[in-house]
Amino acid sequence: MRFYLQKIVFYVVALWAAVTLNFLIPRLMPGNPVDIMIAKMGAAGQPITAGTRHALEVELGGSGGSLIQQYGAYIVNLLHGNLGISLTNFPEKVTTVIGQALPWTIALVGMATIISFILGIGLGMLAGWKRGSWLDNLIPVTTMFQAVPYFWLALILVLVLTRVLSLFPYAGGYNVATTVPGLSFQFIGSALYYGFLPAVTIVISSVGGWMLGMRNMMVATLSEDYIVTAEAKGLKPSRVRMTYAARNAVLPSLSGFAISLGFVVAGSIVTEQVFSYPGIGQLLFTAVSNDDYALMQGVFLVISLSVLAANLVVDVLYGLIDPRTRARS
Amino acid sequence: MTSTLSVTDAAAPATTGGTRSFARLLPSSSPKLIVGLIIAGVVIVWGIVGPLLVGDPHAISTNAFAPPGPEHWLGTTQVGQDVWAQIAYGTRGSLVIGFVVGLLATVLSAFFGVLGAYIGGVIDEGFALFTNVVLVIPGLPLVIVIGNYVPQNQRGLFLIAVVLAITSWAGSARVLRSVTLSLRNRDYVAASKVSGEKTWRVLAVEILPNLIPVMASQFVFAIIFAILGEAGLSFLGLGANNSFTLGTILFQAYNDLALTQGAWWWFVPPGLVIALFGCALSLINFSIDEIINPKLRNQTRASRKAWGLTADQIQRLEKEDIK
Amino acid sequence: MTITRKRLLFGAAAVAASAALALTGCTSGSNGNSSKAGGTTSVTLFSGQVGNFTENFNPLNNTGAYLQPTNGVIYEPLFYYNKAKAGKPVPLLGTSYSWNTDGTELTVKVRQGVKWSDGSAETTDDVVYSLNLVSNNPGLNTSGTEWVAKKTAADTVVIDFPTTSFTLEPQILGNEPIVPQKIWKNISDPTKVTNDKPVGTGPYELKSFTPQSFVLEKNPHYWGTGDNAPKVDQVRYVSLANADAATSALEAGQTDYMGAFLPTLKSIMSKHKNLSYSNSPQATTALFTCANVDLGCTGPQTDPAVRQALYNAMDRTQLDKQAAAGFSAPASSSLLLNTVNKSQITDPSYLEVPQTANVSKAKSTLEADGWKLNSDGYYAKDGQELDLTVNVVSGWTDYDTICQLLQGQFKAAGIKLAVNQMAQNAWSQAESTGKFEMSMNSINMGVSSDPYYQYSAYLASSATAKVGTPAPSTNTSRYSNAAVDAAIKQLATTNDDSAKQAAYKTIQDQIVKDMPYVPIYVNSALAEYNNSRATGWPTQDNQYAFPLPWGGNWGVGIVLKTIRPVK
Repeated sequence: MRFYLQKIVFYVVALWAAVTLNFLIPRLMPGNPVDIMIAKMGAAGQPITAGTRHALEVELGGSGGSLIQQYGAYIVNLLHGNLGISLTNFPEKVTTVIGQALPWTIALVGMATIISFILGIGLGMLAGWKRGSWLDNLIPVTTMFQAVPYFWLALILVLVLTRVLSLFPYAGGYNVATTVPGLSFQFIGSALYYGFLPAVTIVISSVGGWMLGMRNMMVATLSEDYIVTAEAKGLKPSRVRMTYAARNAVLPSLSGFAISLGFVVAGSIVTEQVFSYPGIGQLLFTAVSNDDYALMQGVFLVISLSVLAANLVVDVLYGLIDPRTRARS
Repeated sequence: MTSTLSVTDAAAPATTGGTRSFARLLPSSSPKLIVGLIIAGVVIVWGIVGPLLVGDPHAISTNAFAPPGPEHWLGTTQVGQDVWAQIAYGTRGSLVIGFVVGLLATVLSAFFGVLGAYIGGVIDEGFALFTNVVLVIPGLPLVIVIGNYVPQNQRGLFLIAVVLAITSWAGSARVLRSVTLSLRNRDYVAASKVSGEKTWRVLAVEILPNLIPVMASQFVFAIIFAILGEAGLSFLGLGANNSFTLGTILFQAYNDLALTQGAWWWFVPPGLVIALFGCALSLINFSIDEIINPKLRNQTRASRKAWGLTADQIQRLEKEDIK
Repeated sequence: MTITRKRLLFGAAAVAASAALALTGCTSGSNGNSSKAGGTTSVTLFSGQVGNFTENFNPLNNTGAYLQPTNGVIYEPLFYYNKAKAGKPVPLLGTSYSWNTDGTELTVKVRQGVKWSDGSAETTDDVVYSLNLVSNNPGLNTSGTEWVAKKTAADTVVIDFPTTSFTLEPQILGNEPIVPQKIWKNISDPTKVTNDKPVGTGPYELKSFTPQSFVLEKNPHYWGTGDNAPKVDQVRYVSLANADAATSALEAGQTDYMGAFLPTLKSIMSKHKNLSYSNSPQATTALFTCANVDLGCTGPQTDPAVRQALYNAMDRTQLDKQAAAGFSAPASSSLLLNTVNKSQITDPSYLEVPQTANVSKAKSTLEADGWKLNSDGYYAKDGQELDLTVNVVSGWTDYDTICQLLQGQFKAAGIKLAVNQMAQNAWSQAESTGKFEMSMNSINMGVSSDPYYQYSAYLASSATAKVGTPAPSTNTSRYSNAAVDAAIKQLATTNDDSAKQAAYKTIQDQIVKDMPYVPIYVNSALAEYNNSRATGWPTQDNQYAFPLPWGGNWGVGIVLKTIRPVK
């Protein structure tokens, strides 16, 4: 019981911390949306007169009241699912703006993470099973890719595959000239084609981690007594590998996987910039550089919630598959 | 993160009682380690000495986008600055960030992970809760926002390092906590407690030495993380102010259309330096891993032979493997 | 379950995916950019949009968050004021206008026979409604003056002002979109509606929208005929994340019309013969100084002699070459443009700022003011070294480069310059509240090329505030000069050219002496065109409209209805 109580306290506190941080950070930031707007209007040749500031303040609405009052209003709005109005996309609701960007990020980074995980676990298992094989010796190489800045890798890929060889498009989520979003074969094909390069970048730079983790766990598991027993009993090596070793070795990776799924939303900010990908990362970047507090908060909230949700999944999963977790209480 | 996680469970059984020679703590001199140390050493020495040998990285000339040549070993930028000189300064900047973050994150994680777990009770619960909460707050977005908040003229290298450290210690702390928890209940720790050793002495003499390999590995990882994190932040234009790092060079190159100009000499080398250094640290970490986790060392085919398998059986096993 | 099967399955999926890719690759290659898909002609426009488009076609709100074609392409004002060249306003929904002598009553003849894009008639009532809608809504009215428009004849609107308001002319005639009364009278808050089915009088109307791209098509009911009617069937708007992607798109022939500063433009043009560009330098890049001690400015730059020294110590030829890739134009110390505003610059010596550094003049100015060189090679006065800090947005590479170059140039004149790169929001806040010494920014033309708008926004006391309080307009230098204020007031209340000219002279004499903004150069404004699908784009010599496809530029509508498809 104590175990569950601890978990509940954790989720309550984490949620509160995320929400409160979300409230505070934009209010601690410098700058003021009206200033940014005036600077932008000036650059676009719009007239700036003495009345402009006043009109903008009226139009954008000030944040009145003490900090406590604002906090109260913020929580109430949050409970109603009202994240406010995005300034850069005025007068569109933050929820709408995020709703447009989210599917792109989830599809791209989610798919890439899953592919990377499956590939890494599979290869890691084989490398751990056959220590010293060529595959095992490949591990340091793949780990090296992890140490490469992934946006740099993306730049190199862009240079070679779109500039020199013209194999892939240079930017965007799909071919806007020939397809419209929908469940058509053409659109999905186009989206896959446009997402291929960003996805490859993410897979290349993350597969090494999964591989190394799985390989090390596999090696460690293989020296457990029950493996020795299984081999001594004369079980088929493939059975020992899959049912006895891999199954137990994959546990820590699985929790890592669930957590990294939670970070899907946050994980691709820079990649999205390089590929002009219409996802959450670009949204957050635009929000920060334009002082779009409401949008920033919204993106932050989505990211925090998805990470928390992933943690919840891990906890539940672990409770189910590893009885020791529950026994600890 | 994956590697760190695997370290958790692996580290727990890594204990010895009575006599242990200090030599076992040192990495065995595998080729991986030697290569790693050499590359890392070269990069570090270059970061220290390089800026003394090159010219002013800010100096602008009319020789824009010049390809590598005798005058500019790595060519020039859009405003004719020497890329070679910038990389020397950038390497230094990135290394400073890496080491500062590595140190800070290690200290923070040791404080919250080890101390809490050792004292136990409410403090442990509190620390663990705090660690877990920090762990789920998304790092990069937070760094972006904090980086933006900090007064511009103070947004130097050191500040970026502090911000990166604040968002990167929690994972390590969680690992350290679980290792400490398992160590705390060992017989020899209990024995030294019973024999009346002071708390700090038990912590320093009996527990910390066992944590050193784990912390070393975490330190190395934190350096890689920090250098990559800083590069990402700078690439978005939110990095350190008025100072060169490899990330700010990449940012400038990308912003000034080095890519469309085909000026590979501007954006390939900075990334390569990061990759090389990160790779070297990874190699070093492999060796540390083997200390933490003896099983990674002894479970080779030779040991399988020791189980008494005949050459025939091994061959059969190998065939199975290939399938 | 074995790994073998899993891998096989995964392999199969990968093959299927790549087959799909190959297929789409082919299709996009063959007709992706064709201008005549199914007989319709089409051009693609990149407006500078980064990230997703928001479906917002509200032409009225001030935030500039509406989509680019809203103003000028879908909705039209009464007249078009071309900022790229001197001349009379172009009649659109209005045909002529006149002021009464004291500038309180503006009479406008309204074009008849115009139809909304839904086919219904646009009337003088719609014009009256639109003008009053803005006047009566504090969130929309940026002028600070309320006016009343009324219909006096079937084709005549008279607008009454409480005071002399000559200067509101381009704002009302050239910057207020005319919207249909039947739709907007039902909208409760015109600042907060997204108006996703826009009905306007412009040459194009919305065809389809997705957050990644949207398409406009020719408005079949457009009032213009012949050369004055749109000829290209469709216009597609796309978004690209950065200059790098924009360059690739231009070179690959995937955009026909865009406005981006590409430092390598000349080499791109020489490689691709079907591309052309125009440059419409318009915004004067300057060192903004916090100049006024009385309003709380501190630092050496509050001394006019220091500002004069900065002015003379600049080697602008080098700045143009290395920061602006040679695309900038010489600035005028009057802060006006020596192209469009040439006749309003009152002294030949104000026409062009010195293009090379005059170090000895800079030094003698300082020495005459009591500054003395110290042992470090910098000037000092009363024990205080001549040490200035300039704020610049990090990532605005041309400005960053200027600052780096100025560091060296000023050093030669014994002035120490520290460069403070900062994020845009922090930079704009520092400037707006006056908490800066110097700031790299640009002086922008207002709603038209009439110098009044620039001078009143950047020099009037009413446009500034004490340090610590945000400036109500863009006079961030805190400049305050009674003679200048009087002259600006004179400009606002007269329509007489000689009176205006005298006022210009007063203002220009004062600011050339006081130098609150140290002009550097007139920044380039490059627009790029692809001539293989459509021709008739603006050229360097024929800028029949201000060509940059940015939000808020009414000229884009003129450009889009002028171009014609390549046969």
